[in-house]
Amino acid sequence: MFEKDIYQLIRGLRSHKGNEREYIQDCLKECRREIRGADMDQKATALLKLVYLEMFGHDMSWASFNVLEVMSSPKYLQKRVGYLAAVQSFRPDTEVLMLAENLLKKDLNSPDKTMMSLPLIAIPHVINPSMANSLLTDILPRLSHSNPSIRKKTIVTLYRLALVYPETLRPAWPKIKERILDEDEDPSVTAAVVNVVCELGWRRPQDFLPLAPRLFELLTQGGNNWMAIKIIKLFSTLTPLEPRLVKKLLPPLTSIIKTTPAMSLLYECINGIIQGGIMEAAEGTTEGDEVARLCLSKLRAMLVVEGDPNLRYVALLAFAKITSSHADLVSQHQDVILECIDDADISIRTRALDLVVGMINANNLQTVVERLLRQLSSAGAASEIGGHPQDRGINAGVVPMADDDDDDLQASIKPKGQKSAQAPPLPEDYRASVIERILEMCSRGNYTNMNDFEWYIGVLVDLVKQCPATASTGSFNSTSLTTAKAKQSIADKIGAELLNVAVRVKAVRPDAAAAAQSLLLIERRDHHFGPRGSGNQGVLAGAAFLAGEYATMLPDPEAVLTSLLQSSTAQLPTNTLINYLQAIPKVFSVITNNERKSWTTSRQSNTVLLIARIVHFMEPLTMHPNLDVQERAVEYLDLMRLASEAVSSHEPCSDTSDFVEPPLLITQAIPSLFSGVELNPVAVTALRKVPLPDDIDLDAPINVNLQMLLQQAEYDAEFVDGDNDVWRFYNQKPLPVGTFYQKSAGDLLNARDASSRTSSYQDTESESFDQEAIERKKAERAERYRDDPYYIAPVERRSGSLTPMHNILRNSNGDQELDVDAIPVMELKLDDTRDVASDPERMRRKKSQPVKKPKRHFEIAAEETIDGGDENMPTSYSSSPSKPAISRGKKSLLEVDSSALSSLSLTDVTPSGGHISQLEIERRQAEEQEMANALKEVERLRLEMQRAQEKIEMRGDLPEDGTIVKRKTKKKKTRVVDVGAETGVAEDVQEDAAAVKPKKKKKKKSPAADDETRAVVDDGTFDDELPAPIAKPKRKKKRQVVFDEDGTEEAP
Amino acid sequence: MINAFLIFNNNGQPRLTKFYTQLDTAVQQRLISEIFTLVSARPSSSCNFLPLPPLLSPPTSSSTSTQEHNDAPSLVTYRHYATLYFIVISTATESPLALLDLIQVYVEALDRLFENVCELDLIFNFETLHAVLGEMMVGGVVVETGLDRVVEGVKAQGRVAKRPVNESRSGIGMQGIWAGR
Repeated sequence: MFEKDIYQLIRGLRSHKGNEREYIQDCLKECRREIRGADMDQKATALLKLVYLEMFGHDMSWASFNVLEVMSSPKYLQKRVGYLAAVQSFRPDTEVLMLAENLLKKDLNSPDKTMMSLPLIAIPHVINPSMANSLLTDILPRLSHSNPSIRKKTIVTLYRLALVYPETLRPAWPKIKERILDEDEDPSVTAAVVNVVCELGWRRPQDFLPLAPRLFELLTQGGNNWMAIKIIKLFSTLTPLEPRLVKKLLPPLTSIIKTTPAMSLLYECINGIIQGGIMEAAEGTTEGDEVARLCLSKLRAMLVVEGDPNLRYVALLAFAKITSSHADLVSQHQDVILECIDDADISIRTRALDLVVGMINANNLQTVVERLLRQLSSAGAASEIGGHPQDRGINAGVVPMADDDDDDLQASIKPKGQKSAQAPPLPEDYRASVIERILEMCSRGNYTNMNDFEWYIGVLVDLVKQCPATASTGSFNSTSLTTAKAKQSIADKIGAELLNVAVRVKAVRPDAAAAAQSLLLIERRDHHFGPRGSGNQGVLAGAAFLAGEYATMLPDPEAVLTSLLQSSTAQLPTNTLINYLQAIPKVFSVITNNERKSWTTSRQSNTVLLIARIVHFMEPLTMHPNLDVQERAVEYLDLMRLASEAVSSHEPCSDTSDFVEPPLLITQAIPSLFSGVELNPVAVTALRKVPLPDDIDLDAPINVNLQMLLQQAEYDAEFVDGDNDVWRFYNQKPLPVGTFYQKSAGDLLNARDASSRTSSYQDTESESFDQEAIERKKAERAERYRDDPYYIAPVERRSGSLTPMHNILRNSNGDQELDVDAIPVMELKLDDTRDVASDPERMRRKKSQPVKKPKRHFEIAAEETIDGGDENMPTSYSSSPSKPAISRGKKSLLEVDSSALSSLSLTDVTPSGGHISQLEIERRQAEEQEMANALKEVERLRLEMQRAQEKIEMRGDLPEDGTIVKRKTKKKKTRVVDVGAETGVAEDVQEDAAAVKPKKKKKKKSPAADDETRAVVDDGTFDDELPAPIAKPKRKKKRQVVFDEDGTEEAP
Repeated sequence: MINAFLIFNNNGQPRLTKFYTQLDTAVQQRLISEIFTLVSARPSSSCNFLPLPPLLSPPTSSSTSTQEHNDAPSLVTYRHYATLYFIVISTATESPLALLDLIQVYVEALDRLFENVCELDLIFNFETLHAVLGEMMVGGVVVETGLDRVVEGVKAQGRVAKRPVNESRSGIGMQGIWAGR
């Protein structure tokens, strides 16, 4: 029987072109058989083959025990295969790991150094806290091994041990420190220590300050650029803690920058200066200014250097880090940075884009945006051909395919390969992010940098065309779901932005309305939307709302209405359709409400025609599947029918010289529906700031007798009398309305006391004629909306242009009205900002930004809110506590959690440690005490319950039931204990967290707490493929919850 | 630190996978194919840094502090040599330009060991690839960057087999992997 060795397997794969899958399945079967055999050689060969196939995604977790067998082979080469297999295939849930412990210990103590390094390399991959604890004693002595290669591997292994088991550092750190302080140590070991310290450093910089002199020495000695980079990185985390370091570091860093030929070191020097805050710290001094100038000029040189995109990329990264503090310095280099926006490389472009967003100001905004726009429009064609030429291996897992030609494979990999250098097309998500950035840049700080809103409106309209198409086919199929959503919202965002500008900046409303009109017009659709499919239709929602709200400013309302009523409209997404439905009556009312023009025959027929078209459009929508659409359609349809009645029955004048009043329903009633309070921007947080009125008790039942009333209602249901309005409204056919239609609606309106109203809208309309009643209604409404955040500051209701009705009211008794309107504002004041808040004009003036462009002054309405101070308020207190929890849960895939390290202090090992551990012991005792108390309490409760049960038993006088009752008692008993213990623990943990937080720096977590969290981690978090994250004390509470959930899940 | 070191060829077939975090095999494969998708679309003139693949991109766009960020991989660096892509996924504590040099050292070490290395060497001697990597980094931390010492360290583990000279004569090519014994 011939077995395949690894070469034959690979050759076999290569010769089975086309049917690799079957071949692999055969091989796997073979391996399964071979690995069970007694021959160790065969086992090892089979394992190696499995490892090879694992690389292509063929699971080999089933072989974990065999891995152990091979690992324990005395022969080095077999052992090596075993260790390799363990590294490649063991997962956090591999159970045989416990069995490996002794083997690892044995190999760590092997006399042979190559044998010894096998476990050292493998341990970082498979380690868990309990294993770390037991292996520590075997690994530590290896730090003083005679072979430097073993020493440096040991150091790193200890670091990985510390990540899962922070206690490692307590005995290990002094020894590691010894290594770095030892000047005779092998340089590569020193470099390894520096690497490890650099990894540890950012977590707990304060512990590594004592090393600063030695690190400084190593840095100035020079020689190893790799190490210098790491030392600089480390120093950049230390300088914020020790400002004196800045002065010390400046000269060597400056000289490195000036002299080093190594770009990586140069770059890291600059980066370290930026990140370590050295630039800020040294600001003002001559050296500081010099170094800042030097850095920026070097970075600039990196940007302009030809042929090395990598330098350009990292320089942009560095620039981006400076922008937050020195935006002005960066914008001096605007010219070269802007060049990078058009770089052929998407990575560079994205970085440049990030950077540009940071350095934008009023002067360069337009240039930058124009440039981005040009980029978008010129790349439009390229993206059509888009897609990835090589998308093999995206859908199906990669199969070890037979390779096409060996010549290719035999080509030496040393020379760099040549690929076609054609510019990549703009990917859709890049396109989306450019648009998002443009919106972000322009709207930042309530349009601080915006000088020309007319230009901005034009930009927005242009952007619509550049929206990425929604339906992305293929390519990034793993992300298509999410990006499709994002893309959907890009067009929506543009629409919202358009609306936002129109609302905030009064001066450009006509322009915005015109823009909305051009977007809405069907004939112009192709021009604005281009051929990119339906991705950009989201903007229509915003445009439609805008057109409706500012219909008076539309250049051509009739044309807009025609477009809105297009039959294709009904196919729009519901969100857009809703806005269309809302806009239609608004535009209609603007077209028809002229009360100065006489009611002529032609006007009548025009109006009738318009109404007929609207009715025709809306009728099918009353059956729309979306409830919102349906409701609006039904509402406006009935309104239109009513209008139709009024219009057709209103006698027009036969003679042109006569003036006949147009129907009031058209000129006053319908417009008044849409002319309430002016639309103002309201801060997102405003709603939360509305204080709870003193007289509201949310816990009090609204009606104590609710239950009774409901029952009553059930009894009464049979005897409903006909006078009950509500009952009639819902249960009787609206016959009366029908009879009403026979009269003219206009007549009805004129009749002041239409006593026989039954239909609800007629109610309000006829009443609306009564001035006093209107006044009363207004007051009522104001009263009702006093606490409604959406009605915050309508002090002067100046939507007069839209509402003739309103003018009438204002003229008649404006004073009174103002009083009434002021009520909500007065009530909403929270403190002394009251007068400001009650005067939106003043507030606006205060908040409006200094506008630089002299020719036109734009007033930008700030968001309305109650307090003004958004910062004091947690922006979202409902979601903020859960947010970190979410982000913790979705930890990045490859992340190695080092957070546990920050809870452990290395200073403990210094002589003061004794005192601290004393404290700790006390604390632990206190915890135990608390736990004991909690248990006592539980016990007490249990006894009480038992006693109560016994009482019942006694009273029951039923001896034969006794057993049953007893069993019940028992059940209850245990449950109570459970709950008690749980709450006890929870309390304990909470207490613990509270106790640890303030002293975190000085004190280590109690081992008890450690055990607890570890247990939790073992139970809960291990099922995603992440390393065991030891909880920080802060997070402990949350973890506890995870644990509890798991517990309950397991219980049933 | 370095989170993963990968090699795959122009078709996306892996030649070496090393993850310094335990990951499910299926997830590994997905990650590889995502990176391959990103990397294969890039012309040779573009820079050697990739945007994070979807699997690795941070869960929420904001709200992670810079400190926390140092634990998560934030950098994908690659180099393209002839038919092979070398990928390093790392956190922000690594220097991007130094990583490029690191890949270079790795390839040069392979070249020393195999003498004019090519993809076939990598295919047939993937154990050696792991050995070289093991000499250069342990648990995601770089321990050696000196070319000579890396090569020396690998050679100390036993003879490095050259790829079988003639593919077709499979019967004779039995010198196999255990040649060192």
